[in-house]
Amino acid sequence: MEKELTIGIPRALFYWKRPYFWENFFEKLGFKVLFSLPTNKEIVENGVEVADFENCFSVKVFFGHLLSLDGKVDFIFLPRLKRNELGLEYCPKFFGLPDLASILIKTPIISPVLDFKKDNLEQTLIKLGKKIGKERNLVREAIAAASTLEREEKDKSDKDYLSKIGSQKKKIVLISHPYNLFDEYVNLRIKSKIEALGGEVIFIEEIPSEKIKTQLAVSPKFHWEFGEEIIRRSREILKHGIAGAIEISAFQCGCDAVLKEFIEKEFKKEKIPFLYLLIDEHTGEAGLQTRLEAFFDTLK
Amino acid sequence: MKVTFPYWGNYTIAFEALVKKLNIPFIPPEETNLKAIEEGAKLSPELFCFPFKVNMGNYLPALKKGVDTIFMWENVTGSCRMRYYWLIQEKALQEAGFDVKVINFNSRNLFSRAKEIKKQTNVSFWQIVTALAFFLKEVFFIDKLEEKTRYFRPREKNQGETDRIIREALGKLKGVERNKELSDLKKETWRKFAEIVTNKKQECIRVGIIGEIYTVTDEKVNFGIDKKLGEMGIEVHRKLTLSEHLKEGFLPWKEKMLQRKVNHYLKSTVGGHGRQAVEEMLEYGKKKFDGVVHLLPFGCMPEVTVRPILQNISQENKIPFLSISLDEQTAEVGIQTRLEAFVDLMKSRKKNN
Repeated sequence: MEKELTIGIPRALFYWKRPYFWENFFEKLGFKVLFSLPTNKEIVENGVEVADFENCFSVKVFFGHLLSLDGKVDFIFLPRLKRNELGLEYCPKFFGLPDLASILIKTPIISPVLDFKKDNLEQTLIKLGKKIGKERNLVREAIAAASTLEREEKDKSDKDYLSKIGSQKKKIVLISHPYNLFDEYVNLRIKSKIEALGGEVIFIEEIPSEKIKTQLAVSPKFHWEFGEEIIRRSREILKHGIAGAIEISAFQCGCDAVLKEFIEKEFKKEKIPFLYLLIDEHTGEAGLQTRLEAFFDTLK
Repeated sequence: MKVTFPYWGNYTIAFEALVKKLNIPFIPPEETNLKAIEEGAKLSPELFCFPFKVNMGNYLPALKKGVDTIFMWENVTGSCRMRYYWLIQEKALQEAGFDVKVINFNSRNLFSRAKEIKKQTNVSFWQIVTALAFFLKEVFFIDKLEEKTRYFRPREKNQGETDRIIREALGKLKGVERNKELSDLKKETWRKFAEIVTNKKQECIRVGIIGEIYTVTDEKVNFGIDKKLGEMGIEVHRKLTLSEHLKEGFLPWKEKMLQRKVNHYLKSTVGGHGRQAVEEMLEYGKKKFDGVVHLLPFGCMPEVTVRPILQNISQENKIPFLSISLDEQTAEVGIQTRLEAFVDLMKSRKKNN
C-alpha cells in the first residue's frame, strides 16, 4: 500500500490569499497536509535571523514558517506566484521565493508557476498533477471540491460584511495585504484592540469584488494585482459612512511605499482620518495601543 | 515650457545634448552632492528608494530657476518601483508647493511623445531621429570611455593621468554638437589612452561590480567607487551600463539567454537587474576574478531578493563578495574603510595562492 505523503504549507504569504483552497485540494488528491503553527515569537525570530536584513518583514516571517516545516514533511508547497488572469503581477518577492527557499531548507519544494494569464488554474494544476503522479480527473475533482469549500467560506464572509456595514459603531476599514490583515501575531491583534475602543473592523479584503467590477478604471494603472483592487475597494467602502481608515505596512514593503501615496489620497479626499502603521519584529503593543487611542480621539 | 530631467552620472551630458537638439528650453539638473541629497530626501516618502530621493534633490535648483516640466523615464516592462517614480515625484513636488508637471516617457509612448514635442518646438521628424541617434552615440562613447578608464587607472605610472584624460574628454563632450566633432573627439581620446605610460608587468587584482544600475553607474552616488578601487590598484569590470541596458531592451533574445544562464539559481525575473546580478556573479566566478562588489540602494527590492543567491554563489565558488547598501545617510568614510578591508582580503588571498 502506498504510503501517504505529507505536504507542508507555510502559514504565511500565499497561504493567506487562499486559506481554504490548498489544504482541501491536496487532501482530495490523497496527501496529508501539515500547516506550520500560527505565527509566534520563535517563528519570527528564526525568520529574522536567516533573512536578508533589508528584506521586508512579511518575507522574514515567511522564512520562519518555512524553517519550522523543514524535515517534518515530504514536500513543501511554495507556488511561484507571477500573474493573475488579467496579467497583473504579484509582488516581485513572490517571483524568486522558491529559489531563496531552496537555499534555506533541505525538504524538496513543489513550486508550480501560477501565471494565470498564460495557463489558468485548472491547466496549471493538471500539469502539476502529472509531475506528482495524480491523473487529471482526480485533479479536476480536487479543484471542484476545494473551490466549493472556498465559496462557502466566501458566502459566510459576504454575509458578515453586509452586517458590518450596517453597524452603528464607528466603522474602521483596515487596509493591508491579507498576510498582514489576518495574521494576528504580525498585526498585534489590532482587530481586538480596535473593537475594544468601540470600533467595527472591516478588512479591505472582505469587500466583495462583485461590488467593484462596475467601477470606472483606476488611474494610474497599477501593474500589481493588489494595486487596482485596493483602490477600488477603498472607493466602495467610502460609500458606507466609515469613520476612519488604518493602513498597515510591513517594514520595507516596497510595493506599499508606492501604494500608500495613492491610498492615503483616496481617504484624505473625502476627509476621512487616515492612520499609517509600520510593523516589524520590534513593534510594541504599548506603542500601538497609544497610537490607536490617539487616532480614535480624532474620529468624529 | 521649461524642462529639466534626472541627473544620471556622465550620461547627463547625453541627455542635455538630446534635449538641446530637440530645441526644448531646459535648465540642466544639478550634479548630485550631499546637500542636494539631503534636500531631496526631505521631500521624498521616507521608505522610497534612494535614486528617487537623489532625483528630487537634483531637480530643486532647476525648479527654483523656473522649470515647470520634468521629463522622466517610466520602465513599463520592469517589475521594480521605478515605473512609479514620475507619478510620485509629481505628487511630492506639487505637495511641496512647486508648480510642476512630470511627463513620463516609456517604450510604448515614445512615438506620441515625439509628436507632442514636434508640435511644441517645430523640430522635424528627421531631426528627432538624428537627435536620438546622436544621443545613443554619446552614451556608447561615455560607456567606452569609462571602461577604458577602469582598465588604465590601476596600471598608470603617473598617478592621475587616466583621470585627467577622462575629465578632459567629458568636458569637451559637453560642447560637442555634430557627428564629426564627436568622432574627432573619440579618435583623439583613444589616442591619448594609447599613450598612457603603464606599469607593463602589473598583474592587477580584478574585481567585478554588480548591482542596481543607477547606483553602479553614477560616481556621485557611489562615492566614486570605480576610482577608489582603481587607485588601490584594482582593475574594475562592470557590465551594467546604459549602453548594455539599451541593447538588452532592443534585442529580445538576450532575455532568454540570460534566464538560461541563471536558471539553476533563479527561475524567474525579480524585477530591475536582479537576474543580471546573478549572471554577472556567475561569470566573474568562472573567470576567476578576485572579488565582486555589489552596490544597491537601501531596500532595493530586486537586489535584496537576489543577495542571498549572490552570497550562496560566493561561498560555492569561493569568490570574496562585498555588498554595500547606499542611502542618504551613508558616509563616505564608511565605504572607504570597507573597500580597504576588502582589498586587503583579496591581496592576501592572492599572495597565499
